[in-house]
Amino acid sequence: MIVRRLEVEERALASPLGRTSPLLKLGIALAWLVALAFSYDVRPAAVVTIAAVAAGLALGRITPGRLAAGVAPLWAVAIGIGLTNMLFSGANTDPANSVVALIGPLRLTSAGVLGGVGVAARVVAVVAVGVVFGQTTDPTSLVDSLVQQGRAPERFAYGALAAYQAIPRLADQLGTLRQARRIRGLRSGWHPRMLVGLLVLAIRHGDRLALAMDARGFGSGPRSRYRTVRWTPLDAVMALGALAVTALAVLAGR
Amino acid sequence: MPRELPGEWAGELEVAGLDPVAAGGPAVAARVGIVFQDPEGQLVMDRVEDDVAFGLESRGWPPDSMGASVRSALAAVGLGGLERRRTTRLSGGQQQRLALAGVMAPEPWVLVLDEPTANLDPEGARAFAARLARIRAAGTATIVLVEHRVDEAWPLADLVLALGPDGRPIDVGTPEEVLARSRDAIEASGTWLPARPGEADSRLGAAAAPPAGSQAAPIVAAHGVRFAYDGPTVVDEVDLEIRPGERVALVGPNGSGKSTLARLLAGLLRPMGGAVELAGSDPSRLKGRDLARVAGFVFQDPEAQFVAATVRDEVLAGLDARDPAVTTAVGELMTRLGLPLSAFGDRSPYTLSGGEQRRLSLAPALVREPRLLVLDEPTFGQDRRGCEALEAILAHQVSGGAAVLAATHDERFIASFASRVVRLERGRIVADEAVR
Repeated sequence: MIVRRLEVEERALASPLGRTSPLLKLGIALAWLVALAFSYDVRPAAVVTIAAVAAGLALGRITPGRLAAGVAPLWAVAIGIGLTNMLFSGANTDPANSVVALIGPLRLTSAGVLGGVGVAARVVAVVAVGVVFGQTTDPTSLVDSLVQQGRAPERFAYGALAAYQAIPRLADQLGTLRQARRIRGLRSGWHPRMLVGLLVLAIRHGDRLALAMDARGFGSGPRSRYRTVRWTPLDAVMALGALAVTALAVLAGR
Repeated sequence: MPRELPGEWAGELEVAGLDPVAAGGPAVAARVGIVFQDPEGQLVMDRVEDDVAFGLESRGWPPDSMGASVRSALAAVGLGGLERRRTTRLSGGQQQRLALAGVMAPEPWVLVLDEPTANLDPEGARAFAARLARIRAAGTATIVLVEHRVDEAWPLADLVLALGPDGRPIDVGTPEEVLARSRDAIEASGTWLPARPGEADSRLGAAAAPPAGSQAAPIVAAHGVRFAYDGPTVVDEVDLEIRPGERVALVGPNGSGKSTLARLLAGLLRPMGGAVELAGSDPSRLKGRDLARVAGFVFQDPEAQFVAATVRDEVLAGLDARDPAVTTAVGELMTRLGLPLSAFGDRSPYTLSGGEQRRLSLAPALVREPRLLVLDEPTFGQDRRGCEALEAILAHQVSGGAAVLAATHDERFIASFASRVVRLERGRIVADEAVR
């Protein structure tokens, strides 16, 4: 109630990417991450980022504003990780590499800079893929797809859904705890004690939910399916397109 | 489901023709549907229709028969047409009716409802009771309803079982029999009884005098206050002044902005437009230590606000525990609250009963003697004795010159507590009247 919920938009769910099998999208994301692991170069990460953003906007109909908002908090992380890698790269100690700058005792070489930029670009790529997946995937179809197409255990799939739904609630509860601390003159910033409170609330909620699920017969026998998920021609087209991007990313890194 | 919960049990139990212990949870679940108190805690799926279908899937219903059952169960609770709605987007009342649809869809023999309207506003509670009355009239399931609030439940009952605080039955019989035989015993046990006609409403709206009776300067004043979390405006252009000694009930439907306005007045949120002035300053810009001196806030869920591992630390948090004046005041207060530190001081707040937790949650605010005490649904889950204890504590506070504001749905509490009722709808004040 208190904290905004970054819900998936209905128009994104109705888009081609929204109708693609969530399991396939997970597979594509995994393939792209593996492709990134092959090279320190910036180019594979750039290919994946561009492909993810373009797919999200064109095939997923995500509003550009929402996409930017999703990626925003991680820009700082990407830049931080990139800078750290740039400054403290092992390549900086190699006398063969040309010096770009000398910052006090630090010797910044061109290889170090490239390495840092490459790492930052990969963080951006991972985040972009994750945001596009999250913004085009309905939690219910994710569960259906995991169970029916991925043969995932039901307890795991419904547990994943419960965890997904718990995030906004935990954020609400954290807000309440901070307010409860402020009104007593305690530091309302982060305090380890809050973790205990949140943990208790999460366990209580988990207990209640498990009881509610058992009361509705969960785990009492084989489940039937309200919604049947099938592979579609759209999935095949998406898979081919994703394969092409993967190949491009691998080739770009050579 | 005696096997699912820790504890001991003895005696014989037969549920829908089964011995639940021998038969096991799944067999019982196939015949018994349960609706719990907390609307959010029992919704499993993300969308309305999937949540209703969940119980059918668990029981292996054939896929082609599920659609019709889901639709008719939703229609029966008045949620037809909301099949694709996200469950988080429903009001509390709608969520509770969805939970009812979810347990009704598999056609249980017995329907157990554990305080299903505790979280609902009066309209939501009445709509829920009306749906129950229809299910009862259809005669397809036995309904077992556990309720503190008896005004809506009592007229629905064919049989009443009154339990005492020790868990032993006081009486069982038709509502008329129980009322005739055991009215006094039930009253003495601290359990609610249905209101005599006109009793609950007698004070509400009786006097329509303007509320500005007090001449004192307001403790808190809101001028044109506006607030939105991330989207629609929740509190919109609110003007409100509260003076010393006032007991204000802030009422309105679920989602009307009551909790948000309460937090704005206590400085826990900063208005996006307009201004709040509390004892001469903007409370949202005060340091926590200074804010705590002028305002106290008690949240709806006691467990959501505990900050310490023991009852003693919970009350002393933020105070100077070495100051004898403080420890004396805390000791006296806790005794008055029925939580003497000698017995409760070393216990964990999470292990207390619901009533004890509620009284503990009041302590950190009361011990600071704030000029404004704000409470969010303070009577939630409290039996009559708990409510009476709360009212006595609040009366004591007001007699010392404090103002008390309570955001609440509880019509009985409003009738006995409030000197003024402010009604909020869609973030705006639509009524503001003195009630006595």
